[in-house]
Amino acid sequence: MPIRYEGLTHIYQEGTPFSYLALDDVSLEIKEGAFTAIIGETGSGKTTLVQHLNALLLPSKGKLQVLDRLITADQKPKQLKSLRKQVGLVFQFPEYQLFEETILKDVCFGPKNFGATEEEARDMAVKMLKLVGLDESYLDQSPFELSGGQKRRVAIAGILAMDPQVLVLDEPTAGLDPQGAKEMMDLFVELNKTYHKTVLIVTHDMEHVLHSCDEVVVVAKGKIKKQCDVTTFFEDVELLKQLRIDPPAVIKMREALRERGFSLGKDMLSIEALAKAIQSEVQKHE
Amino acid sequence: MNNFTLGSYMPYDSLIHRLDPRAKIMGMIFFMVAIFIPAGYFPYIILGVVALVLLLIAHLKLRSVWKSMKPMLLMMVFLLVINLLVVRTGYVVVKLGDFAIYSDALAQTFYIAVRLVLMIMITTTLTATTKPLDLTLGIEDLLTPFKVLHVPAHEIAMMISIALRFIPTLIEETQRIMKAQASRGVDMEEGKLKEKIMAVLSLIVPLFVSAFQRAEDLANAMEARGYIPERKRTRYKQLKMAGRDWIMLGCSFLLMAVPILIAMGYLDPLRIGSLFLEGVGYAL
Amino acid sequence: MDKITVKDVSFSYDKERDALSHVSFQIKEGAYTTIIGHNGSGKSTIAKLLIGLMKADGGSIEVDRLPLNEENLYAIRDKIGIVFQNPDNQFIGATVADDIAFGLENHQIPTESMQGIIETYAKKVHMEAYLESEPTKLSGGQKQRVAIAGVLAMKPEILIFDEATSMLDPQGRSDINHLIQEIHENETMTIISITHDIEEVAMSDHVIVLDQGKVVMEGHPSEILLKEKELIDLHLDIPFSLKVAHALQKLGMPVKECTTMEGMVDEICRYAMKD
Repeated sequence: MPIRYEGLTHIYQEGTPFSYLALDDVSLEIKEGAFTAIIGETGSGKTTLVQHLNALLLPSKGKLQVLDRLITADQKPKQLKSLRKQVGLVFQFPEYQLFEETILKDVCFGPKNFGATEEEARDMAVKMLKLVGLDESYLDQSPFELSGGQKRRVAIAGILAMDPQVLVLDEPTAGLDPQGAKEMMDLFVELNKTYHKTVLIVTHDMEHVLHSCDEVVVVAKGKIKKQCDVTTFFEDVELLKQLRIDPPAVIKMREALRERGFSLGKDMLSIEALAKAIQSEVQKHE
Repeated sequence: MNNFTLGSYMPYDSLIHRLDPRAKIMGMIFFMVAIFIPAGYFPYIILGVVALVLLLIAHLKLRSVWKSMKPMLLMMVFLLVINLLVVRTGYVVVKLGDFAIYSDALAQTFYIAVRLVLMIMITTTLTATTKPLDLTLGIEDLLTPFKVLHVPAHEIAMMISIALRFIPTLIEETQRIMKAQASRGVDMEEGKLKEKIMAVLSLIVPLFVSAFQRAEDLANAMEARGYIPERKRTRYKQLKMAGRDWIMLGCSFLLMAVPILIAMGYLDPLRIGSLFLEGVGYAL
Repeated sequence: MDKITVKDVSFSYDKERDALSHVSFQIKEGAYTTIIGHNGSGKSTIAKLLIGLMKADGGSIEVDRLPLNEENLYAIRDKIGIVFQNPDNQFIGATVADDIAFGLENHQIPTESMQGIIETYAKKVHMEAYLESEPTKLSGGQKQRVAIAGVLAMKPEILIFDEATSMLDPQGRSDINHLIQEIHENETMTIISITHDIEEVAMSDHVIVLDQGKVVMEGHPSEILLKEKELIDLHLDIPFSLKVAHALQKLGMPVKECTTMEGMVDEICRYAMKD
C-alpha cells in the first residue's frame, strides 16, 4: 500500500504568537518499493513532511495514509507503536541517540521496545550490524569509542533491526567524508533493491539523488513544487535553475559544453553517456 | 517544553523596558526588602498598587503572572495547613472538636501568600521587560564592587550569558532526541517502571554526551578567539544610567523606607492615612 | 617565505595509535593551502595543535619563526584565527554583533571603536543586515559567516578553516567557499583549509594529503589531483573533470587531464576544434 498525503497542513505552535505554517495543504503519493528523494532548501518543510510518517508530528489539517493506517487531524492515533515499527525513521546525526553500554544492547533497544524477545533482537542486531559493515567483534564494545562514521552505522543498524517496511532517512550523509557518504548511499540502495524496503531520503546532495534514487519530490515553502522520476527531473535544466538547485557535475558539464556549441541531448546523465555523445560530436566534425 | 516561562522576555516597548537593568535590579531588591519587613498590612497595600501599576505600564497581562504563580499554589496550600496546625496564638476563629483555628494562623498564612504573590509580580516584571543579556550585564556591573571580596563578577556573568545562549539549543536538542527515541519505540508516558527508567536514560545519556561535546567545542572556540578568564576585557555593550533610572531608584528606595520606618516606630500608618485624606480633602 | 613550519610532529590521543606521526610541512606566507584526508586521517588534530589547544608529543611548530611553547602561546594565537566545523557550538554572543564583539573584548579593543569594527566586518561577510539577530534565527551558513567575521575582526595573519563547510547545505557551502576566495583575493592572509571538498582543493595554491597521521602527498592541486590511483587508494574523491577525461581517453580521444570543470570544458573544445 502506498503512502498518501491528502491536503495535509502542519502549523507549529498553533494559536500562539510563534505559530508557523510549515506545510501548506500538501497532497502527495509515494510509491511503494521506490527510492524517493525529498529535496528542497533548508527550512522548506522536508523534515516536517517526513516526521508525519510515523506520527511524531500529527497533521493540523488533512490526512495521511501510511501503509494500512490512516492518520487524521481530529483523531489521536492509537497503537502508535505498531506504526513506528513499520516506519523506521533515521534522524539527522543519529549518532546522538546512542546511549547503551554496548553496541549490541543499543541496536537491540528498538526491537525489544517493539516486543521482540531477547534472542530475536540479538539475531536481528547481529544481522543488521553486519549489513552496515560492523562484524561480531564490535558487539560488546561501547558505542562511544567508535569513530563518527561508525557510530552513525550503529544508529542506523538500530533502526534497521526493527525491520521496518518503510525506511525514512533525514540527511543521513551530512558531515561524512565523500567515501563514507558513498558507502552509506550504497547501503540504502541495497536495502531498497535487495530487501525491497520503501526508502525516503531527505537530502541536499544532488549527486546522491542522481545516482541512487528513482523518484524526486521537491518541497518549497511548505508546498510540493514538483514530483517526478529522477531522469525527467534532471533533464529540465530550467526547473533546476528556478528551484535554485545546484545540479550534479555531469549536468553542469553538459550545460557548459552546450553553451560552447556542442549539441548534446538532455538525457546525458552519466559520464559514459556524456563521453559517447562528445565522441560522436567530434566525429561529426571530421 | 515550549511554554517555558522562566525569564521569558516580552519584546514590547515601554518605559520599564527602557530602564537601565541595573536600576531595575536594584529597584527589585529594594522592593523585596520592603516585602519582607513586618510592618502590618499597610505597606502591602502600597506595594500591591505599585506592582499592579508596573505590570500595566509594562504591557504585561495578569494572566502571565497567574501562569508563573500556578506551580506555587500547592506550596501555599501546604503552608496554610502547616500554619493551621502549628500556630496557636490569637483568638479562636473556628472550633471543630479538639481542633481549633486561630486568627494568627490565618493572618500569617495570608501574609505569606501576599508576599509570594508580590515577589512573583515584581520578578516577572523584571524578567519580562529586560533582555536576558542586559540582565547579565546588569548583574556583572552590580557585582563589580564585590571584586574586592574576590567575587568573580565577570566569570559569573559569562557563565550566565552562556547558559542563556545555549538554553534554546539544548531545548531543541532535547526535543530531537525525544523524537528519535520515540521512533525506536520509547514511550515517555506509559510503561512499567523499568521501561520508564530506560526511557529516561535514553534521553539523558545522549543529552549529556552532546552537551559535553558542545561544551568542549565552545571552550575551544572561546580560547581560540583569545578568551583568557583572568585577563581584563573591554565590553561592547555599555549600560548608561539616565535621569529616569535615578528617579526610579529613588522611588523604590522610598518604597523600602516606608515599612522600615513603620517597623521602627517612626511612622504611623494611621497618621499617613489621615494625612492623606486631609490632603485630599484640602485639594478638593 | 614560510609562515608556519611543522617539523617532525607526533601526537596521540591514547597510547595505542598515533593521530599524527612525524609530520613535517611548511605553509607559505599569503598562500591558500588545503589539507585533505579521509575521516580519522589526523587532519583536524593539526588545526588544534597549530593554535595550541593541544600540545604535540614530539617535534616542533613555528609560526612566524616563533616556536610554539607556553611562553609564546598567546602571541601565536593572536596571529591565528580559526573557524570550526559546528556552526552552533562556536556562536558565543547573544546576537551577531555580540558574537563579533567577543574577540574584540578579549583583545581589549576600546568600546568606542567596536561598533565601527563590527559593522565593517559584518559587511565583509555580507551579514550587515543581521547585526541584532539571535543565533536561533540564522541558518548554518549565516552562523559560519558570523564566525568568519568574528575571526577577521581580530586581524589575524593566518586563517584556518577546520571543516568549516562540512555541516552546511550546498547553498551555505558555496557561500562560504566564495567568501574564502574573496578573502584570499582581497586580504593578505595565509589561509589553511582542512576540507573534504575536492572542488575547493582545486581552487587552492597548495594541497597536503594526510593518511593515518602521515603526510603522503604534497604539491600543487593541478598535480596532486591528477593522481587518480593514489587518491582512490586513500579513500578520497577525484575531481569530476578527471573522470570525464579518463572516460574520453577510453573512447580513444587523447584529451589532456584537467582538475577543474572550466579547464576540462576548454580542453574538450580545443580538442574538438583541432580535429
